[in-house]
Amino acid sequence: MAIRIQRVPSENLGGGVAARLIAILLALLVAAVIFSLNGADLGALGAHVLKSTFGSRFGLMDIGLIMTPLILTGLAVMIAMKVGAWNIGAEGQFCAGAFAATAVALFVPGPTVVIVPLMFVAGALGGMVWILIPTLARAYADVSELITTLLLNFVGVLLIYYVATGPWLDPSGMSFAATKRLPYDIPSFWGDVHWGLPIAVLLTVLVAAVLNYTRWGYEVRIAGSNPSAARYAAIPFRRHLIVVMLLSGAIAGLAGMFEAVGTAHRLQGGISNNFGYIGIMVAVLARGSAIGVLAGALLMAVILKSGIALQTQGVNISTVLALTGLILFFTAIGDELSHYRIVRSKPA
Amino acid sequence: MTMNVMLNAEETIASGSPIQPIVRLRGIAKHFPGVVANQDVDFDLLPGEIHALLGENGAGKSTLMNILTGIYRQNEGDVIVDGQLVTFASPLDAIAAGIGMVHQHFKLVKAFTVAENIHLGWNETPRRISRELLEARTAEIAASLNLAVKPAARISDLSTGEQQRVEILRVLSRKARVLILDEPTAVLTPAEAAELFKALRQFAARGNAVIFISHKLDEVLEISDRVTVLRGGRKVTTRPTHECDKRMLARLMVGQEVVLSNMRERRPDAKPVSAEPVLSLRDVSAHDDLGNMSLKRISLDLRAGEILGIAGVAGNGQKELSQVLTGIRPLVSGRLQVCGRDLSARGAEEFAAFGVGHIPEDRLQSGLAPALSITDNAVIREYGKAPLSRGWLYRPSAAAALARSIAEAASVTVPDFAMPVRNLSGGNQQRLVARREMRIASNVLIAAYPCRGLDVGAINAMMRYFTELRDAGVGVLFVSEELDELFKLSDRIAVMFHGEIMGVVDTSDVDIETIGLMMGGQRRSAADLAGEN
Ligand SMILES: Nc1ncnc2c1ncn2[C@@H]1O[C@H](COP(=O)(O)OP(=O)(O)OP(=O)(O)O)[C@@H](O)[C@H]1O
Ligand SMILES: [Mg+2]
Repeated sequence: MAIRIQRVPSENLGGGVAARLIAILLALLVAAVIFSLNGADLGALGAHVLKSTFGSRFGLMDIGLIMTPLILTGLAVMIAMKVGAWNIGAEGQFCAGAFAATAVALFVPGPTVVIVPLMFVAGALGGMVWILIPTLARAYADVSELITTLLLNFVGVLLIYYVATGPWLDPSGMSFAATKRLPYDIPSFWGDVHWGLPIAVLLTVLVAAVLNYTRWGYEVRIAGSNPSAARYAAIPFRRHLIVVMLLSGAIAGLAGMFEAVGTAHRLQGGISNNFGYIGIMVAVLARGSAIGVLAGALLMAVILKSGIALQTQGVNISTVLALTGLILFFTAIGDELSHYRIVRSKPA
Repeated sequence: MTMNVMLNAEETIASGSPIQPIVRLRGIAKHFPGVVANQDVDFDLLPGEIHALLGENGAGKSTLMNILTGIYRQNEGDVIVDGQLVTFASPLDAIAAGIGMVHQHFKLVKAFTVAENIHLGWNETPRRISRELLEARTAEIAASLNLAVKPAARISDLSTGEQQRVEILRVLSRKARVLILDEPTAVLTPAEAAELFKALRQFAARGNAVIFISHKLDEVLEISDRVTVLRGGRKVTTRPTHECDKRMLARLMVGQEVVLSNMRERRPDAKPVSAEPVLSLRDVSAHDDLGNMSLKRISLDLRAGEILGIAGVAGNGQKELSQVLTGIRPLVSGRLQVCGRDLSARGAEEFAAFGVGHIPEDRLQSGLAPALSITDNAVIREYGKAPLSRGWLYRPSAAAALARSIAEAASVTVPDFAMPVRNLSGGNQQRLVARREMRIASNVLIAAYPCRGLDVGAINAMMRYFTELRDAGVGVLFVSEELDELFKLSDRIAVMFHGEIMGVVDTSDVDIETIGLMMGGQRRSAADLAGEN
């Protein structure tokens, strides 16, 4: 009897979930081996990580805060995938959203009830503006959005550094790369966790409903799956491409708005914190499902938060990064492996 | 594994003979959720033979071959190659054992050149490669196998026949001894098919073997040495081809006698042919995808209640004609009217709204979104109407109900409507598209090669549908390259050659020879022929 591995054309749901769980366990195992080789006290480390994530109120709050931008950037990437586009630029759109919302907060005086919604709109518009050129280039000149959106990320991140260290720098001299504390805030509903989280969840559910229960959503799915079938059925592919990509940018922009106004309370260099890139992972893990986006964002938030917890225990930052990488790596392998199954056969 | 397999007389002889089969399948079963695609299938393939595999749509032909090439894993049974039990984990294993397949739907990378496609995923591809080297190697392999290809050409610029040659070359270059062709001629012109047959005979004569899946019985009788028939996933029989004839094969496949009757007779209560055309073209010109003028000042009338056949060798503008007639391709000049309304500058939406249905020639590329569900694909023409949509709301449950009724009308059994439509057999995809389009064709149906990939029974059913539409007063434009289909069905036949109409003739006034001459570029008019008779 020889054991062989065979690829199957479609994975089964149970297998997919199991593969992911095994992947996470494997990654933890590898991490444990490395830590114990370095003489760390595994029990203490594990307990600390558990306590600082699920085991405490503050841990849970932090996870909620980290999840918020991840849900939104993941959703942004996922919805673009639905229309057949790769939005690699959620990072840049996040920055643009944060920038636009901060501008409103700093320079538009008014009552909170007006300014907060205005910041909301500004954040969405900022993200939309950031994806506008890649969208038009793709729609009218067939220029790959993969590259254009990616390149604008660098511009977005540098823009934030520029304003945060230059023109908008906190005049009090308290910090080197941030604006002053913004005069407006997103209301919180539980400790530090602000309404960005439920809004992000709601938005995800809304997007899923729109895709499945509206004519427009149906058209988008057809257009994204096969543009020539769309042409055949008189579905305006280009129009849907443009609208969905702009929407994707707007959602990523919202993520930046919530992060700057609700979580950081200021615009600071590095505010995007790779949330845009991690959003790509979330979307890929989610495989086009909205519930998947929520689950993926939760997973990534827990990983990031555990990383922070390990860092406070003196574990070196690069070890932490390696661990997060490891989990992702195993998850990706697990995902791929769930397309395979093991067959036993007599040797040929 | 012990399995008792009943061998019929012929196989006993074959296995008792000194020739060892190259491939032997024993008791193969393959089940998909809700479908038995194969059950108890025995099959053997001798060196030097061309073995035809026949069966209705969904009989399990493609599935059986996918098992042989390691794409699927059988639930039961053995695959034996050169007397050895084997398990192929992937097509790469199969090709390493000398078994290669050209699929019903090609799997080439369109943006790559011929040379790049040949060398893709091949362990003999040199590590350090240059474009020149790849092209030189390709030319060399092609010459040694006697298959003419253009190494530097991009796949997207090639005709279907040329693409198929690249697929075959891809398989043969990997030293295949067994070549499996899944409906290879469905998309070929007669000349291309003749060329293919020549290459196949040469290949088999070198001691190799070919498995040939086709629905065209004439071809099967012409090219094959033995025939195996599947029905409902089970093997019915294997026989030497010289013992078979067309009627018998059709009966074996379908399980009952199939008579392709003359369908030009109308029902007594049929609506009369209208005096005014429902669809008319005046001096219409249009480009093809490469910007060449592929329709040249075409004028044509289609009347309500008639079937107008479009004959001609594929690639003479038929595809562009059907796209122009459904609003997918813009006119360069000329005028197009539907029901007296000028739609020259309108798009697909207006055509559909005017009751123009369209069975496209490339269903997987433009008629379907292969990765989406059967339901999503079944409702692509009606998702915007009640009861599927109410205002901007879309109702998946109503869509599922419609999909079920379309599948039922098309006699396609679907175990799971949420599964991707590409999981359906090729013929069943075609039936689904046809039924879907007939529902919206209240005035005109443009049917481009609707019978491609269908089994004899299904062709008969499809042609019956068309006569029903005709009798209900719909104008049907029927594009085909099969002359006997055209003669059985059409009231009039227009012949296309190099983007022009060589003449429109009454079917009752014309014979096959005359149409053949017109397909080669001779002009005739109905008046000429009426004068001759
Ligand atoms: N991946 C799959 N998942 C589910 N069902 C499948 C899958 N592949 C094939 N089937 C089903 O198995 C049956 C046999 O299909 P198969 O493609 O082998 O038919 P076929 O004989 O090649 O027909 P055709 O002449 O129409 O190409 C069909 O009912 C088909 O729907
Ligand atoms: Mg098939």
